[in-house]
Amino acid sequence: MFVVEMEKINLGVIGLGFIGKVHLRNCLNLKSVRVVAAADTSKKALNYAKSFGVKQLFTDYHELLKLKDLDAVIISLPTHLHAECAISAMEEGKHVFLEKPLAPNVEEGNEIASAAKKNGVKFMVGYPFRFASQFVNLKSQVESGFLGDIQMAYGVDIAAGPFFHRAESTAPRPVPEWWLNKELTGGGALMDLGCHMINLLRWYLGEVSVIKARLGYRYNFDFEDYATCIVDFECGASAVVNVGWFSQSVAVGLELHGTMSHARAYHSPSNKIVTAIKLILGRTPRFFIPYLKEVSHFVDYIRNDDGENRLSGEDALKDLEIIAKAYKNQIN
Amino acid sequence: MSLVGLVECKTRNVDSIKRAVREAFRLIDYSLPKVEKIVIKPNMCYYWDWSTGQTTDPFFVAALIRLFREEISTDVKISIVESDASAMKCKYAFKYLGYEKLAKDCNVDLVNLSSVEAEKAAVKVADKVFEFMIPKIIREADLCVNVPKMKYMSFTKISAALKNIYGCNPYPKKFEYHSKLDKVIVALNKVMPFDLHVLDGLTVCGSKTLRLGLVMASQDPVAIDAVAAKIMGVNPKSVAHLMLAEKEGLGKTSFIAKGVDINYFMRRFPRRSFSEKAIALGYRVACKLSLDKRLV
Repeated sequence: MFVVEMEKINLGVIGLGFIGKVHLRNCLNLKSVRVVAAADTSKKALNYAKSFGVKQLFTDYHELLKLKDLDAVIISLPTHLHAECAISAMEEGKHVFLEKPLAPNVEEGNEIASAAKKNGVKFMVGYPFRFASQFVNLKSQVESGFLGDIQMAYGVDIAAGPFFHRAESTAPRPVPEWWLNKELTGGGALMDLGCHMINLLRWYLGEVSVIKARLGYRYNFDFEDYATCIVDFECGASAVVNVGWFSQSVAVGLELHGTMSHARAYHSPSNKIVTAIKLILGRTPRFFIPYLKEVSHFVDYIRNDDGENRLSGEDALKDLEIIAKAYKNQIN
Repeated sequence: MSLVGLVECKTRNVDSIKRAVREAFRLIDYSLPKVEKIVIKPNMCYYWDWSTGQTTDPFFVAALIRLFREEISTDVKISIVESDASAMKCKYAFKYLGYEKLAKDCNVDLVNLSSVEAEKAAVKVADKVFEFMIPKIIREADLCVNVPKMKYMSFTKISAALKNIYGCNPYPKKFEYHSKLDKVIVALNKVMPFDLHVLDGLTVCGSKTLRLGLVMASQDPVAIDAVAAKIMGVNPKSVAHLMLAEKEGLGKTSFIAKGVDINYFMRRFPRRSFSEKAIALGYRVACKLSLDKRLV
């Protein structure tokens, strides 16, 4: 019997901040992927990639994009750099996996989504909750009809935002300054966390017709650190979404209330010691499994000509448009 | 033996805190001197606000300011100081932790010690000479008031009055001192001795966050730290920087606690469990083996 081994995808990781490092580690655990290069402006971050065996390291991502044998890139840069980097990669014919949110504004988001089409490359936006088992199970319940017709929903995503303990370290790590600049992020907690909830709710309930938001400023910055949104869907359902950057404890979940039953899915915290040990050993801790699954999905999408893309640029663009409407329709 | 005053303050409002601080001063027989320039050093740690128990409550500082203005003079010049650290920038911390609003409301200055005039000074601790830049504003102040928190810390077991002065070192890359932290803490206290230590134990962070309602005051940083250690269930003799500070003449670990019984706070403080101590130890080991670099 002949065994045909599929060729590995040659991948580059651009941006080695917190999530970039998560993607790098996850890619090294994927058999169908070969991480051939990494780029970051920080030499310390590049040394991190080197310690995992990545050989080609660049401080300028344009150099990485010139690599002929590179099939795809994972981009985990600050939001304001998404458009420039993603479009450059697409123009070089590379498939692109881009971290959420798509861009700091709808215009740049549009440019990215259009560039993917124009250059005929595969493009996916990272929304890890779409791959988390509890939220996938909730989708199955919705599709099975078990809940009946969903009338109301509640979504919550509250954490410390950029001000959190990185992984299991007991020492605080610096907050990258771009996080604290509204011009560069496009917004605060609503932009950062709201897009997760909007994306999930759209997955369950379909398109949004109206959104209104009340923004809060506990920590006195010029961007909101918490927000409550009231969302109406074309299907007739309504949802309340609470997001915030104010808590050292994480609460991520969704509740759906239908005419026949109710269902809920909540993220459960991981054991810190197990997580730390897995990180030290280079394994994927439970918290990061959805991140592993989303990159794995991206690789499958690239390898199969008619592969499914669960998170297209157009999809992420819709999320961005809804968030933009929420900022516009503020409730005082 | 040094006096340490312990007072309970059950409500988090400026007037109640002011009354508690005044009572703590009375317990240690402390009268505020007639001065012109006061420096207040709260504990700002990263971007965790007062509710986490990690950083000094701006209400606590507001109460001190009100007390100083009432007891000393309405014209007394007050500056709240902090310095940039490896993971914290003052320009954000002042805003995020509520100090920018406090400064505006109370008409006091906010000073980032990492960006003000400083002079070099050498200090000897345990036969080792350390050199630091000492901010002029601290050197020229008539009264330096330390307003620490009490909390556990991986590298020094506890963090309270002595450790808070570590934040007066304007050099921002403080992680570079971690291998010799005990000596550096003592050296900074020697070169920048503070006159008064008023510990904000209203909200504390142990194994969990708790409203402890403790206000403590002393003129001796070693004594107040020894009381804090006892409340936290840590033997003061096992805290290296505390013992070194005593040896270097910064104060005494023996104390006379006045006011509310220390046992009352000892019973209520959320002490660390065995597993939490094991995690802290594991983290120290990981750091020694440079494995912490993978914890990102």
